[in-house]
Amino acid sequence: MADPDLDFTTGESGASATYPMQCSALRKNGYVVLKGRPCKIVEMSTSKTGKHGHAKVNLVGIDIFTNKKYEDMCPSTHNMDVPSIKRIDYQLVNINENYMSLMSDNGDIREDLRVPENEVGKEIEAKFDAGEEFMVTVISAMGEECAVATKVLASK
Amino acid sequence: MMAAVGAAEVITQLESAAKVLMAPPSMVSTEQRQHAEHVFLSFRKSKSPFAICKHILETSKVDYVLFQAATAIMEAVVREWILLEKSSIESLRAFLLTYVLQRPNLQKYVREQILLAVAVIVKRGSLDKSISCKGIFHEVGQLISSGNPTVQTLACSILTALLSEFSSSSKTSSIGLSMEFHGNCKRLFQEDGLRQIFMMTMEVLQEFNRRENLNAQMSCVFQRFLSLANQVLSWNFLPPNLGRHYIAMFEATQNVTLKPTESWREALLDTRIMDLFFTVHRKIREDSDMAQDSLQCLAQLASMHGPIFPDESAQISYLAHMVEGFLSMINGIEIEDSEAVGISNIISNLITMFPRSILTALPSELFTSFINCLTLLTCSFGRSAALEEVLDKDDMVYMEAYDKLLESWLKLVQDEQHFPRGCFVQPAIQVFNSYIQCHLAAPDGTRNLSVNGISSHEEEEINELQEDDRELFSDQLSSIGMLGRVAADHCIPLLTSLLEDRVNRLHGQLQRTQQHLMASTDLESVDRKVLDDLYEDIHWLILVSGYLLADDPQGETPLIPTEVMEFSIKHSTEVDLNTTLQILGSPGEKASSIPGFHRTDSVIRLLSAVLRTSEVESRATRASLTELLSPQMGKDIVWFLRRWAKSYLLVDEKLYQQISIPLSTAFGVDTEGAQWIVGYLLEKVINNLSANDTVELLVTLVEKRERANIVVQCESWWSLAKQFASRSPPLHMLSSCVQRSLMKALVLGGFAQMDSDTKQQYWAEVLHPLQQRFLNLINQENFAQISQEEAVKQEIVATLEALCGIAEATQIDNVASLFSFLMDFLSSCIGLMEVYSNTPETINLIIEVFVEVAHKQICYLGE
Repeated sequence: MADPDLDFTTGESGASATYPMQCSALRKNGYVVLKGRPCKIVEMSTSKTGKHGHAKVNLVGIDIFTNKKYEDMCPSTHNMDVPSIKRIDYQLVNINENYMSLMSDNGDIREDLRVPENEVGKEIEAKFDAGEEFMVTVISAMGEECAVATKVLASK
Repeated sequence: MMAAVGAAEVITQLESAAKVLMAPPSMVSTEQRQHAEHVFLSFRKSKSPFAICKHILETSKVDYVLFQAATAIMEAVVREWILLEKSSIESLRAFLLTYVLQRPNLQKYVREQILLAVAVIVKRGSLDKSISCKGIFHEVGQLISSGNPTVQTLACSILTALLSEFSSSSKTSSIGLSMEFHGNCKRLFQEDGLRQIFMMTMEVLQEFNRRENLNAQMSCVFQRFLSLANQVLSWNFLPPNLGRHYIAMFEATQNVTLKPTESWREALLDTRIMDLFFTVHRKIREDSDMAQDSLQCLAQLASMHGPIFPDESAQISYLAHMVEGFLSMINGIEIEDSEAVGISNIISNLITMFPRSILTALPSELFTSFINCLTLLTCSFGRSAALEEVLDKDDMVYMEAYDKLLESWLKLVQDEQHFPRGCFVQPAIQVFNSYIQCHLAAPDGTRNLSVNGISSHEEEEINELQEDDRELFSDQLSSIGMLGRVAADHCIPLLTSLLEDRVNRLHGQLQRTQQHLMASTDLESVDRKVLDDLYEDIHWLILVSGYLLADDPQGETPLIPTEVMEFSIKHSTEVDLNTTLQILGSPGEKASSIPGFHRTDSVIRLLSAVLRTSEVESRATRASLTELLSPQMGKDIVWFLRRWAKSYLLVDEKLYQQISIPLSTAFGVDTEGAQWIVGYLLEKVINNLSANDTVELLVTLVEKRERANIVVQCESWWSLAKQFASRSPPLHMLSSCVQRSLMKALVLGGFAQMDSDTKQQYWAEVLHPLQQRFLNLINQENFAQISQEEAVKQEIVATLEALCGIAEATQIDNVASLFSFLMDFLSSCIGLMEVYSNTPETINLIIEVFVEVAHKQICYLGE
C-alpha cells in the first residue's frame, strides 16, 4: 500500500482511514478494526485446532471511543484492517454549553467537540473550573474524534 | 531460680497468653494477640529459665506452653552455654529425654521440639567434648532392643533429630553460631555419631527382615527406620579441607551423591549391607511409600564414589556386586509404576558415578547382561511413557524414568573408546526401533493406541505458546539421534524408507482430496484423520532425522558427526555418484523411479527424502491446497534444512580428518550439487517468507561467506532484494521480526564475493533506497505536520526496523562499514524522538535501534 512516490505534502486528504496488516503482525496494545470499530488490542492469543491445524489469532479489543469490548478471530496469514490513529494536543481555552473551545498550535480555534461523559471529561471540567491552563489530547480515527486525556501545558 | 509461688503465676500468665494465640481471629483483637506474642518472646529471653521450664513441663497441660518451654530451654542453653556447669547440662539433657519417654501420648509437635532441644544440646556439647554421644546412643540402643514399637519409634525420632541437627543444612536450628562451628561439628559427627546411627539402623532392618509377617505396628517402625537409613545415605559428607567460605555453597547442593570419608570403609564396603537393602526392597516393594525409600537407598549406594574406595579393584568389586544384585532384583518381577523412577535412578547413578574404566573392567558376561537389561527396560518404559501421554496423566512417572534412561544411554555411547567396539549397536537398534514405533501411527507403530488397541483422534485447541516438540523433547531426541548414529547402518536406511513411504502416501492422499474437493467444495467434508496421521508420522521422522544427521551447537562450528561421516565413507565404494546426484536433484520424482536407486549414498538419500517432502508441500501450495497442508510440517522441514545446512552445505574439508567422497561431491565448495541446493532452498524460502522459521533459514544461507557467494548469483535473490527495498507487497506486510531478519539477510548477502561493480550495484539496490527514502522524508519542510500521517509513520517504523536488522548483520569484517552507514541515521533518530513524543511505540523502537547497534557492535570495539 505504501507507495514510494506518495506525495507527502497533501496533508489530511488522501490518507486512508485504515490500512491492511497481516494478522500475525498485530501486537497487544496496538490497534485493529473489530466489527467495524477502531479498537485497542487488549488481548491477543494464537491457537490452532489440533497439532497440524492452521493457526488462528483470537483478538479482544476495546473501542477507543466507546470503551466497549469486542472480540474477533482471524487466520494468522490473513490480513486485518488497522485504523490510522492521529493524536493532536490542543490548549483548552473555554467550555461553552458543554462544548470545548480548543486552540491548536497555529492559533486556530475549534469548538465542535463536546466534553466527554467520562472520567476524562470530569477531569477537564474540574481543571477548567480551577482556572488551570492545560492541554487536551484529541484522538481521531475512522472519521471520529474524541478527547482522551489532559496534559501539562507545553512550554511555547 | 524462681520460687514455687512465682512459678505458678508465670504458668498462668503463659497459659492465658496461649489461649489468646489459639483463639480464632474474631475473638481477639490485634493488640491482644501482639501482647500474647510478646509474653512468649520475653519469656524465651529470660535468664536461666531452666528450673521454671522444667516446672512448666511437669505441670502445665497446655501443649503450646510446653512447646514454648522446650524452645526456651533450647535457646537459653545455646545462649548461656559457657556459664553452665557440665553436670547441669547433662542432667537437663537426661531430664528432657526421660520426659518424652514417660509420656507416649505427648503431642507430636511438642515431642519433636523437645527432641530437637536434646539434639541442640548434644551438638553444642560435641565440640568442647562436654557431652558425648556415646551415652545417648547407649540409651537409644536400649530403647530399640526393648521390642516395644512405641519406644522403638521414639528411638528413631531421637536419632532423626540428631541427624537433622548435625547435618548443617537449612534444617539446623542452632542459630547464632558460626558456619565454621557448624562445619566442625558436622565433620566430627560424620566420622563417629553418624556411623553409629547407621549401624543401629542396619541392625533394626536386619531384625525386621528376618521376620515373616509384620503386623501394622511393626511395619510402621520398619518404615521409620528405613527412612532414617535413607537420610544417612543421603548425607552430604563435608570434605575435610573445604574452606569455610564454600560451606554454604556446598550445603546448597540439591542432589547429593554418596561420598563418604575413609572411616566408613568397613561399614559400607561390606557387601552384606548392599544385600540387606536388596532383600528389604524385595520384601516391601508392594508398599509404594516404603518402596520409594528403599529404592532411594539403593540409588544412593549406586552413586558411591570418592576416598572410600582404597583402590580400583575395590571399586570394581563393589560395582560388580551392585550390578549382580540389581539384575537379580529386576529379574522375574513385574515392575510397579511406583518403582520406575527409582530404578532409573539406580541405573543412572551406576553409569554416571563409576568411571568408564571401571565399567569396562567388569566381567564381560555381567556387563552384557547389564546392557541387555538396560535395553529391555528402556524399550518397556518407552512404551509405558507413550501410554501415559495418551491417557494424559498428571504424574508421568514412566516418561520421567524413560528420560533418565535415555540420558544414561547418551553417557554410555558418547564415550565409545573405552568400550569394545560395536558393543552398543544391537541395543541401539532396539531402543531406536522402539522409539520410532511409539511415534508412528498404526499399523506400523503404536502411537495414540491405548492398551486395548483403540486409537484416539482428538482435535483439541492448542495454544501456540506451547513448546514445539523439538524443544519439549530435545533431550530424548538427542539421545535417540546419538543411538541412531551408533547404529547408522540400520537406522539411516530405516528413516529413509519410512519417510519416502509417508511422502508418497501424502502425495497420493492430497491428490485424492483435491479430486474430492473438485466434486464438492465443502472443506468440512474432508476426512482429516488420514492426513493428520501422515503429518504426525512425517513430523517425528523429520525430527529424528534432524537430530541424527546434525547437531546444533551454540557458538561452535557445526560439524558433520563423526559416525555419520564414517558411515558414508564405509559404504562409498558401493555408491554410484551419478545416481546419487540424480536422486538429490529430482525431488519431484519418486526415488524408486530413478534407475539404480539402491546404489546411492544413504545420508544423501535421507536428505533427499526431506527435500521430497518439501516438494510435495510446495506443489500443494501452488495448487492452492494450502488449507490441507500442515503448518507444523512446514516448520519441521525448514528447521531440518537449516540444521542440516549449517553442517553439510559447502563442507569445509580442512575441518575433517577424512571426508566422504559422495558428501564432498554433492555439497562441497564449487560443486554443482551445492549450487543446486542453495538455489532450491532459496526458492523455498522466498515463496514462504511469512513464517518466522523460514526467514531464519535464509539468514543461515547467507551468514557463511561461501554460501553467500552462491546465493548472490541467483536471480531470485536480486529480485527479492529489489522487492524488499521498494517495499512492494506482500513484503511490507510481514511482521516486524521477519522484516528485521530479512534486512539482516540482505545485508549479509552484500558481503559475499562480488566484483566491485556488482557490489556497488548491490548496495545501490539494497541500502541506498533506505537512506534516500528516509532522508527525503525527514528533510521535507512540512515534516513536522505530516509526521503523524499513517503512511509517514509506517515508513519511519519500517526504516527503524530495517536499521535493527542491519545492526544484527554485524560481523567482524563489516563492522566498520555498517557503523558508518548507521551513524547517519542515528543522528537523525534523535530528532525523531521529539517528533514522536506522543507515540510511545515509536519512541521504544528508536531506543531499540540504539540498543541493537550498541549490542551488536560493541564487542568489536577494539578492532
